[in-house]
Amino acid sequence: MSVSEPVVQKDQVNAPPLPADVKAQIAELRTRYPTSEAVLLPALHLAQSAWGGWLPDEAIASVAAELNLPVSKVYGVVTFYDLYHQHPVGRHRIRVCTNLSCQLRGAEEIMEAVQEETRVREDEVTPDGRCSYVHFECLGSCDTAPMMMVDETYHENLTPQRAREIVRGLK
Amino acid sequence: MPKVTINDRTVEVEKGATLVDAALKVGVQIPHYCYHPRLSVVGQCRMCLVDIWDRGRKMPKLQAACSMKVENDNWVVRTDTPEVQEAQKGMMEFFLINHPLDCPICDQAGECGLQDYSFKHGVAFSRFQFEDKRTYPGRERIPLGSNVILNMNRCIQCTRCVRFTQEISQTAELGFFNRGARAEIGTFPGKPLENHLSTCVVDICPVGALTSTRFRFAERVFYLDKKPSICTGCEVGCNVTMEHRRGKIKRYKPRFNPEVNDYWMCDYGRSTFERYEKLPRLAAVRVRPEATGNGGFYGGWKEALDLVHRRLREANGSSVAILGSAFLTTEEAYLLNKLAGALGTPHRSVPVDLGPTWTIPNLKGGISGQEQAPNRRGAELVGLTPGEVREGGTLLDATALLKGDAAAQADVVIVSDSDFSEAAHNPQVVERLRRAKLLIVFGWCDSPLAKVADIALPVSTHAEKDGTFVNVEWRLQHFGAAFPAPGQTRPLVDVLVDLLARYDASWSKLTTGQVFDRLASEHPAFAGLSWDDIPAVGVTLNVPQARAAVDAATASAVQEI
Amino acid sequence: MFEPVLTRNVGNPDALTLKGYKKAGGYEALAKAIKMEPDGIIEEVKKSGLRGRGGAGFSAGLKWSFIPKDKKPKYLVCNADESEPGTFKDRLLMEYDPHQLIEGCAICCWAVQANTCYIYIRGEYTKSAEILERALKEAYEGGILGKSMMGSGFELNMYVHRGAGAYICGEETGMLESLEGKRGQPRVKPPFPAVVGAFGAPTVINNVETLCNVPHIITRGADWFKGIGTDERNTGPKLYAISGHVERPGTYEHPIGITFREMLEKAGGMYKGGNLKAFIPGGASAPILPADQIDIKMDFDTVAKAGSMLGSAAVIVMDDTTCMVRSVARLAKFFNHESCGQCTPCREGTNWMELILKRLEHGEGTEADGEKLLSICQHIAGNSLCALGDAAVGPVKSLVERFMPEIEQHVRERRCPFPERRYFGKNVGNGA
Repeated sequence: MSVSEPVVQKDQVNAPPLPADVKAQIAELRTRYPTSEAVLLPALHLAQSAWGGWLPDEAIASVAAELNLPVSKVYGVVTFYDLYHQHPVGRHRIRVCTNLSCQLRGAEEIMEAVQEETRVREDEVTPDGRCSYVHFECLGSCDTAPMMMVDETYHENLTPQRAREIVRGLK
Repeated sequence: MPKVTINDRTVEVEKGATLVDAALKVGVQIPHYCYHPRLSVVGQCRMCLVDIWDRGRKMPKLQAACSMKVENDNWVVRTDTPEVQEAQKGMMEFFLINHPLDCPICDQAGECGLQDYSFKHGVAFSRFQFEDKRTYPGRERIPLGSNVILNMNRCIQCTRCVRFTQEISQTAELGFFNRGARAEIGTFPGKPLENHLSTCVVDICPVGALTSTRFRFAERVFYLDKKPSICTGCEVGCNVTMEHRRGKIKRYKPRFNPEVNDYWMCDYGRSTFERYEKLPRLAAVRVRPEATGNGGFYGGWKEALDLVHRRLREANGSSVAILGSAFLTTEEAYLLNKLAGALGTPHRSVPVDLGPTWTIPNLKGGISGQEQAPNRRGAELVGLTPGEVREGGTLLDATALLKGDAAAQADVVIVSDSDFSEAAHNPQVVERLRRAKLLIVFGWCDSPLAKVADIALPVSTHAEKDGTFVNVEWRLQHFGAAFPAPGQTRPLVDVLVDLLARYDASWSKLTTGQVFDRLASEHPAFAGLSWDDIPAVGVTLNVPQARAAVDAATASAVQEI
Repeated sequence: MFEPVLTRNVGNPDALTLKGYKKAGGYEALAKAIKMEPDGIIEEVKKSGLRGRGGAGFSAGLKWSFIPKDKKPKYLVCNADESEPGTFKDRLLMEYDPHQLIEGCAICCWAVQANTCYIYIRGEYTKSAEILERALKEAYEGGILGKSMMGSGFELNMYVHRGAGAYICGEETGMLESLEGKRGQPRVKPPFPAVVGAFGAPTVINNVETLCNVPHIITRGADWFKGIGTDERNTGPKLYAISGHVERPGTYEHPIGITFREMLEKAGGMYKGGNLKAFIPGGASAPILPADQIDIKMDFDTVAKAGSMLGSAAVIVMDDTTCMVRSVARLAKFFNHESCGQCTPCREGTNWMELILKRLEHGEGTEADGEKLLSICQHIAGNSLCALGDAAVGPVKSLVERFMPEIEQHVRERRCPFPERRYFGKNVGNGA
């Protein structure tokens, strides 16, 4: 009768191959840096686009496998930065700046307007999958306060009316 | 070598030594959490802040002692200024504001970094009165793997565990996730913390965030007595602290030895003491009536050993087979060999199980072991190796006895350890050994083999005796008894000395130390050694293989408190 | 009459192209620089008194001189992370005059003999990154960058590296960690980036605006540069990004040391004619200055002497409808969110400060809170691993030291005494 062996749990990480175009872009990026680890941030941006605006676990595992990095390290990077999402964010991501300069020019009212228009809570996706919104830190557009960012575009000098129109126009 | 003055005490250190290590050399304990001598320096916990004067000018800010490396003679350091004390109070306050008051239910109480430094450097009251503590809902008892459980609420984000898996075990299961006040440690879903060193993260965690699955809620550490010992899991012979209470071992923790296991040990080794409780214990002298030859047996040790002596004299000496064990201490194996010599039998052998090869990292490239017992080398060095068989005879060695039919040819089979390997619990092996005309079994375990023995004699586990083991790198290490043995059990050295005294009175009443000194004088591998002078880190034996296998350079490491 | 230097191409869309930039006098500085000795360039920049425009105000030339001559490779990392609340000047420079930045980086690389430059730009600045990428492409095609920079035989590669949303990546070593593909957690210093920087190699890290000054110093000389500003320790033109309760928020280029009163006037005065209550001279990390400092010269040393810092020269103006507690609570929330979580004082301290200020703002404060905040500030400042801890302390300490009556009023009345101001629709707030 032997001492009970510890029950070893096996690794069960699913890492599907990356889409071909993402792999090709990563290959080009490798020429820019002396280590393959340095490609990680750009690679995650690419993977996030390829996976519809967010990074499910399999995307993270795929990037880790591609760059030969431990998956825990890649996960640590994904969770550190505000622009990588680990849950779906809808087809459009709205980020309303509520930091001081925007707060001094009515950012709270913009948040209210966006909330009323989308009819969901912060960081919730609308039922039709259209969009989600969050308050965000300073986006570097304080002279056009209040403002918000929708996907990659800045919408500046907002009024609640204008913010509503923008949200309504999202498909 | 550069010099540095800490709290008015000057010490000479290696170039590049950190202030924390330098301070320890002069008896100054700089409090720290994230620093560990074997892990990269991150300077995160900010507990080790000290005041430094560089060539007479005080540095404007307090410096983290763990990241300050002594390169020249310029520094004067103080850890007792009002600024340092205020900083320590501030840091302790910050650690405790979001820390749960779990002491009553937390394993770490009694060996907790927060408790210790709070007592020494903190304040006795809390100002965190009107806010809610940060918690990690759902992360209070998460198994990270099969051996480690995480309570994220207690974590102080020192990242020792993360750096351990990245740098020491190099398996990188643990990561540091999220940012700021939400930062946490964890594993990626699908890749649990599974490596043979995983429980080491529990050792290095300063608080009760990481706990060992096997030891959870088992015992309060302040009730545990601690005895330095050696692990018997494999031939590496990791140094352990045997923590016990009332004759039961509760936990093994690795003991620092830069020559062998450094600060670490494997998970399997930590579980090896459990068999002493799990398996039935042989605690009384047991003799079958048939063995006496004249009806019942109504005696104790003296009568039993007289019986053994008589039966051995009646038997044909050269058909006595002695089955050694790699769990015997060197002294026991030596005495057993003397018995073999008195009988004139060549049938001596040491069986040992082979397991997976695990490597324990150290500063000399690591130490690996595959044999699942601590002392095959020691037993063989002192003579428990097969002798010359006369023409036409069979050697009754371990293979022949355990796998073949050799026991039937033997008059007497002496099994020196009833738990000598997995085979001792195998019914087929037991049946084969039973074919001997007389089966004498020594052991602590009332294994199936002991149950069928004619004469079963109870002897100590390695927790109940003194002795030495020789490890895979031919290093001799000694250990001592932690608690007395139960019932009629005696250390095997005492038993064999008693038995040998019946052949030759000069053996009478020798202690283990005296036995060792005798064997040292007889075997060139042990030349020059004496029981009283065996170094705490062990000593490499004078064996040609040893000189080749072991690196001469000794790591200059500092004891981690 | 002060002629714009850094913003001279703003309003000239032609300057976005290589041809247009050259027509406006661009790349003359680089052509001149490659004929100079690298050390000569370092001396010239040192002489000019150019101080870092990213917030720390450290002498740029002195920083360049720390790079060892004998090591290879070396890197220049341009800090385009611009995440300090209130700051948006670098974005203007990158979107309207990308080649000015490229030229400045190229000259710096020549001066320290670095063959690779990374422009670390915050992930949110997609438009600026695209404009920079286009300009870089043209620069490569035009022989400015590549195997032989302007035919000099010196190989220079310049890349845009996008961040992913973390203020702490604007810290030097945090940026290097992020560039190397890790969490942007600042490193223990020493060793400093000039010794061990990106990928273990000596590295210079400079802000966008700092580097944009370099071509002008080369073409017009250190003495010209020194002639602008207050004294020899505060020289050159400066971009001031003014926002908040001001009529015409925006980026304005002034000689460094212009008074706040003048700056406010040039930006159209107070928003809707309100009364100045307080202003932040240098971004969220700078201690808040009360209205009576309105005549302060906005240069590094004067502002420092007044108990604040010029930092990134991000000026946030607040009128008397503003609740200081509310404003500082928002800044505390920012610092708590952006703390990397490594070191205890910042991770726990910024969290605690946000909680206390939130309580105060919601009328659940106690009399001891002011002192408690000061004590927490004292325990964080100087003890944290990087400057974010000190930055978080800046506004909170100044709130307690200069606006204590407001805190006391919150505690006494058990509510915020300033009604929430509406800027749009019905009930548009006080001062309208």
